[in-house]
Amino acid sequence: MTAARETIGGPPAAAEGHGAAAGRPAEAARARSRLPVSVVALSAAAGVLVVAAAYTAGRLGRDDAAWADRVYWLGQLLILAPVAARLLSRRALTASETVTLIVVLTVTEYLVKVCYSPAAFSYADELMHWRTATDITQAGKLFTANDLLPISPYYPGLEEVTTALAAVTGLSVFTAGLIVAGTAHLLFTCVLFLIFRHISGSHRIAGIAVLLYASESLFQSFDSMFVYQTLALPFLGLTMLAVGRLAAPAATGRAGWFTVAMLSAFATVVSHHVTSFLLVLSLELITVVAVVTRDRRLAGWAAVAGLLSAAALSAWIVFVAPSTVSYLRPVTEQVLQAFRASLAGGGHHVALSSVSSGPLGNQALSAVAVLIMSVLVPIGWWQVRRRYRRQPWIVALAIGAAGWYVTVAVRLFAGNGSELAGRASTFVFLPAGFMAALAVVHLTGKSLRSAVVQVNARRRAPLVIAAVVVTALVLVVNGLVNGWPPYWERLPGPYQVAGAERSVGPGQVASARWALAVLGPGNRFATDEGDLPVLGSYGDQDTVGDDSYLYTSPRFSRADALQVQAQSIGYVLVDRRLGEMLPASGQYFPDDPNAGRYLRPLPLTGLTKFDHVPGVARVYDSGDIVIYDLQGSAYYGP
Amino acid sequence: MARSQLDIAATALVAVLACGAAAGGAHGGPAMIVLGFALFAAPGYLLGQLLAGPRVSGPERVAVMTGLALAVPVLGGIVLYAAGVPLHRPAWFGLLAGTTLASDAVLFLRRRAREPDSAVGPEPAAPPRRVPFWPAAAFAVAVLLAGGGVALARIGVAAQPRTGFTQMWLSLRHDGQRLDLGVGNDQGSTTSYRLVLLRAGHVIATWNLTLADGQTWQGSVPSAGAPAVVADLYRLPDTTHPYRHVATGSRS
Repeated sequence: MTAARETIGGPPAAAEGHGAAAGRPAEAARARSRLPVSVVALSAAAGVLVVAAAYTAGRLGRDDAAWADRVYWLGQLLILAPVAARLLSRRALTASETVTLIVVLTVTEYLVKVCYSPAAFSYADELMHWRTATDITQAGKLFTANDLLPISPYYPGLEEVTTALAAVTGLSVFTAGLIVAGTAHLLFTCVLFLIFRHISGSHRIAGIAVLLYASESLFQSFDSMFVYQTLALPFLGLTMLAVGRLAAPAATGRAGWFTVAMLSAFATVVSHHVTSFLLVLSLELITVVAVVTRDRRLAGWAAVAGLLSAAALSAWIVFVAPSTVSYLRPVTEQVLQAFRASLAGGGHHVALSSVSSGPLGNQALSAVAVLIMSVLVPIGWWQVRRRYRRQPWIVALAIGAAGWYVTVAVRLFAGNGSELAGRASTFVFLPAGFMAALAVVHLTGKSLRSAVVQVNARRRAPLVIAAVVVTALVLVVNGLVNGWPPYWERLPGPYQVAGAERSVGPGQVASARWALAVLGPGNRFATDEGDLPVLGSYGDQDTVGDDSYLYTSPRFSRADALQVQAQSIGYVLVDRRLGEMLPASGQYFPDDPNAGRYLRPLPLTGLTKFDHVPGVARVYDSGDIVIYDLQGSAYYGP
Repeated sequence: MARSQLDIAATALVAVLACGAAAGGAHGGPAMIVLGFALFAAPGYLLGQLLAGPRVSGPERVAVMTGLALAVPVLGGIVLYAAGVPLHRPAWFGLLAGTTLASDAVLFLRRRAREPDSAVGPEPAAPPRRVPFWPAAAFAVAVLLAGGGVALARIGVAAQPRTGFTQMWLSLRHDGQRLDLGVGNDQGSTTSYRLVLLRAGHVIATWNLTLADGQTWQGSVPSAGAPAVVADLYRLPDTTHPYRHVATGSRS
């Protein structure tokens, strides 16, 4: 790692000493910053404390208070603003300082995520993987059934690492899972920095690219959660890093790096399906670009790595995880449907709400962020054309950045475009963030060198930097505002009906544990949006998502009975609070035909009718939650 | 022992100590946590030494070592499972310790093989870097602040007001001969109940229960077929309104 200093708008460290940059900023600007990295770390850590205070206020009943929300955002700004300001300032920055800033950003944002749910997993996706990890711990076997996320056991990388760590340390699956997910997330951002630095020759560009990558809406949530993708991403990155090392002109120890590449690629395949596909696609893209740019060494190594990765992925899908195809098919069809709609002139289908659901301010911020990225990416392309068109890695990233506009189209035209685009952002922001970083560095340097600024550089240059920092903050804050947790659960707090994390409470966990202990695992259970992940994970039950009819019909009917039989529903969990509160998420059930249209809570008659249906047993009652056994009742009668 | 082989000795010692502690029945506790983390990291460190070559920068080396440390259980777990080894505690200890010791052996042989070829001997140790006081102090305070944030969040979870609840259940055993009846107190304090069991509208049993917070009572009664069994739980002193109610399916 070089100790050379870089300034924004100046030459990259790799180019220093060659007089590469005409019109470099004044030497004064190369002086050390008045904002040392240690102070940035101090501010970010204080931000974690402030966010934790806001979370505690929420838990103590102040979740709706505007001041608690402001405290949360103050904490976030204490984390984000100094990091962005330091990475984008005119002052000199060494590579180790840049790495430290990235580590500070990643670790503190991860701690913010931990503070949201510090005692147990409460995110639905984390509960799904907790179930698989717990099954491996208890059964000592891989590929056990998981009714909540059936594909999860067939990509057990995350759960293997977690159960191994839990086994050798004696820590709980939850604690081990937090450590594994946090380590994987930090490793991914560091590897990302190393790759960007390797291909751009500039730790400044690499640092800014990682900062902009952190603006994708899942960076602080889904990409650092205890979910299989979190572990697969660093393996993908390591494979790329190793291929880069293999193809370096003066590379030594190629056998070692090839082993690293293959171990990482195989670990990716075992850990996550979509990441594995993206790994193969990326390697093939790099191969093609390397052939075109006549980088034979890279083309060869990338082709070998790509072919072996593709073979491993194919073998895994054929012999171990054939359900991957049926699992991914609906998503693929939705994306294709979106394309068909856009090609068929489906512009009239565009709904503003599809850009970003939520308050108007959130939607406006989302639109501004989309606009900024949409402007920055082409400027990045232009920089690639001007400076990097012979560099296969960067050209491949430029091609990949076109995916940004695909996700924008998906947002606009697909049925659940926001969710699809959000999930894709993890991958799309890798090249798009790098292109945007090239654009930001170019625009900032150009502005600083412009005659308008040079007339009074001492006063005007800070304004330029401030504008750039604010732009970066808009992007990153948008990622938080329109990411996860959603605006209606920004702060943890009292129970919410059909919410996400706030629907996970002691009562839900107790009923789920009772179901597992007394009824056994794998029973077909009708339940609502909020209780489903708890019942499926702690309870290990086979939950049904398309069951709204069972709760909304005022009385028993033959039509309901036929549907119950068709879905083989054995038990119904009724949370009586569905009749007292509107759903926080807008929908009471996972597949809710009335989602977003509820004006009043569900009628109690629909929830309590089971007490009067012949043969239905009321097997569990904890006040809010009642479980009915439909087997042998009129629902299964002639 | 040559300075260059110290890491090999240390990782081998960690593997032996961790396996010894596990064999001795240690599970959890600070010593086991430290040993466990060291054992978990050791294969990644050694494989990184073997595979990444000497000309790799510090952050890159750390990244490769961390990635390999994570990859060993991922790929090793698959191999163990394919070999029919149950993935319980001994298997993970065996995998990590075995990989550590095998890597130790290979690294030891490789270093020994290279020593005679070296014309200039081992690289001189870099002079120790002085860590500036104020930045180090700032980072230390940052760690304390961030740790304080997590601690505050945990305190918030513990302090969060929650509504207590009482669980009651009545379920038919799989053999169909008896009904299991249970009451669980999660009210947050000791609570007294009266449990009344009725069959065809007639009281057939009554229990007065006093359960501490977190305590569970369980009983069973004969199933006896068709007449519905109903159980009402009263939270004393109120004996008028059932607090919880469970029932087998009626045929009416």
